[in-house]
Amino acid sequence: MVQVIESEGVTILPLSQQDEWKDVVPLAQEETATMICPIAYAEDYKEKMDYLRALMAKGEVSQRALKLTSDVIEENPGHYTAWVYRKRLVHELETSMEDELLWVAELSEMQPKNYQLWHHREAVVEMLLDPQSVQGMSQDERVAIPVLRRELGFLAESLDEESKNFHAWAYRQWLVHTYGLWDQELAFVSVKIDEDVRNNSAWNQRYFSLIAGGSSLSAEVVEHELAYTLEKIKLAPNNESPWSFIVGLLLRHAPAELYQSLLPQITALAADEEYLSAINGTPFYWATLVDIYEQQAKDVPEKQKEAIELASSACDVLATECDLPRQKYWRFRQTQL
Amino acid sequence: MLNRDLHIRYFKRCLEMLPAAMQSLDATRMTLVQLCLVGLAVFDAIDEALTGDDKHRMIEWIYAQQVPANANNSNTQYRGFRGGSLFGPHGQIKYAPANCGNLAATYSALCALVLLGDSLERVDKPAIIGAMRQLQQESGCFSPHPHTTERDPRFIYCACAVAEILGDWSGIDIDAAVAYIQRCVCYDGGVTQGEFQEAHGGHLYCCVASLALMRRLDAIPVDRVLKWALFRQSDGYNGRINKAPDACYAFWVGASVEMMGGHDLIDADGTFAFLMKCQSKFGGVAKTPGEYPDPLHSALGLVGYSFCRPDQLQPMSPSLLLPLSLTRARSIGSAL
Repeated sequence: MVQVIESEGVTILPLSQQDEWKDVVPLAQEETATMICPIAYAEDYKEKMDYLRALMAKGEVSQRALKLTSDVIEENPGHYTAWVYRKRLVHELETSMEDELLWVAELSEMQPKNYQLWHHREAVVEMLLDPQSVQGMSQDERVAIPVLRRELGFLAESLDEESKNFHAWAYRQWLVHTYGLWDQELAFVSVKIDEDVRNNSAWNQRYFSLIAGGSSLSAEVVEHELAYTLEKIKLAPNNESPWSFIVGLLLRHAPAELYQSLLPQITALAADEEYLSAINGTPFYWATLVDIYEQQAKDVPEKQKEAIELASSACDVLATECDLPRQKYWRFRQTQL
Repeated sequence: MLNRDLHIRYFKRCLEMLPAAMQSLDATRMTLVQLCLVGLAVFDAIDEALTGDDKHRMIEWIYAQQVPANANNSNTQYRGFRGGSLFGPHGQIKYAPANCGNLAATYSALCALVLLGDSLERVDKPAIIGAMRQLQQESGCFSPHPHTTERDPRFIYCACAVAEILGDWSGIDIDAAVAYIQRCVCYDGGVTQGEFQEAHGGHLYCCVASLALMRRLDAIPVDRVLKWALFRQSDGYNGRINKAPDACYAFWVGASVEMMGGHDLIDADGTFAFLMKCQSKFGGVAKTPGEYPDPLHSALGLVGYSFCRPDQLQPMSPSLLLPLSLTRARSIGSAL
């Protein structure tokens, strides 16, 4: 029996006792067996599901159906056909998209790990603002459009709450990409890195904002990123993110810079009294040297022998001193040089 | 020590009843069933824990989730297995999108049936392959079901595993899927869900296992990907750079390392130490030390460890999450 629920001074009757639902015959779930992970459903959830099934069975398009999908999805955000049904309801009922976004925002606080709600948000935003319509607008004009201003604000809040939320960052990439919001992105990313230099999601977004817009990487940008990354390494030498950012960026877009620029800069840092012990103690420094020398051996024939020897001695340091858990890997890598 | 009896009792208990807190996983119950069976299988305990009658009834429930053709056969895109019985009795759901299979559920159902010793004779192979074909996007990626913009390598993997188990690859454009996965390789050597996104151990697994099943592992720079994967380990594995270790990545990342030929390079003692920290005294394995166990972290944590110690646990196929004894008997799974 479903209990009457008192919530914040309001009495909520079970659906079966509400006039609005009198005409609906609830449709029960069929179970054919035991020992198949049955869930001990709460009574009110079970009742809502029985009514939702009854509506979905015939595909009823109504406000009460929309409300019921909210209630069910809040408790069971993986209910994939309820999402499909809801999308149809939102479309056919010409619901306020603003209200829909408010609901999705609430839901993402309740269920931050859910994939579906972020896709739903994309669909709603696209219904609100046709990506074609921003073509030809300047960046300032675009970010002034209320929908986009609000989405950027919503994302800033979400990422304040959970700075490494994988879905929020993916959604942000979708938004930047779909509406061409490239110019503001690097500034946002730099703030996130300043807040937490170990936030790898932000470092990844840095790569995205530099590369994904399609502009080529100029020598000035490479120089700037080298200097920027080095400053961040100084703040926390044993931090994998900046090391893998700069090695990855150069390896893909300016490989010669690895040995021409990065190498002298990090070896100088490793000899600097202030940073000497921290830099020499982190496996990321030595692992970076292995990558750099390997690239040099490949590119510069006259340096090949020397570079391989240097890579090999970096592997020795890793295997015997600063990366003992990966000892076997570094010995293997040494044989691959 | 690894407490075999406690873990077996844990998985059996989950098969018997899950608490209301798991309502949010109601639509993925098929995967919970699969994971509980995997947990038993890793101890070679399916026959010990389940009677013939139990197995028979479980097989019937799984087949009851297979979406049949509707009256005018207009639901071809919704065929396959559903995630559970919450969608209602097939015949009564007239609005077709409401009664819909899901690639992830189809994958879990087939694995669960194989684990239960079913012959797969009642699987409607043409219907599944036909629906699957409609779920591959222009990008090469897959959606789990129609009418969604959700698409990522989890569903490429499910499609590949289904094709492998059913021995029919005609529902997948392999070159397109491989090209999508290549775009998922990140600047740092990790692998993720789409171009330019952050490298992630779960998507690493989906991509590497898909390539292994498609026999196309050479399509990605394995040396760099292997290094990224090995760097995920402290004692336990994390799933992203600078995140805390989590028991399930012993599988997602550990299995990827296995498929890339890195078996001898992992720190087995570290893997074991972290598993012990996450093992509950009531059976099961939690995501992180001190939390409550759940079927996913329990099964995957244990399978991750099985790669380190195949002498203590059943040797498992890294590409299919099934015991090697079963994949070999069926000649499925990548050659590893």
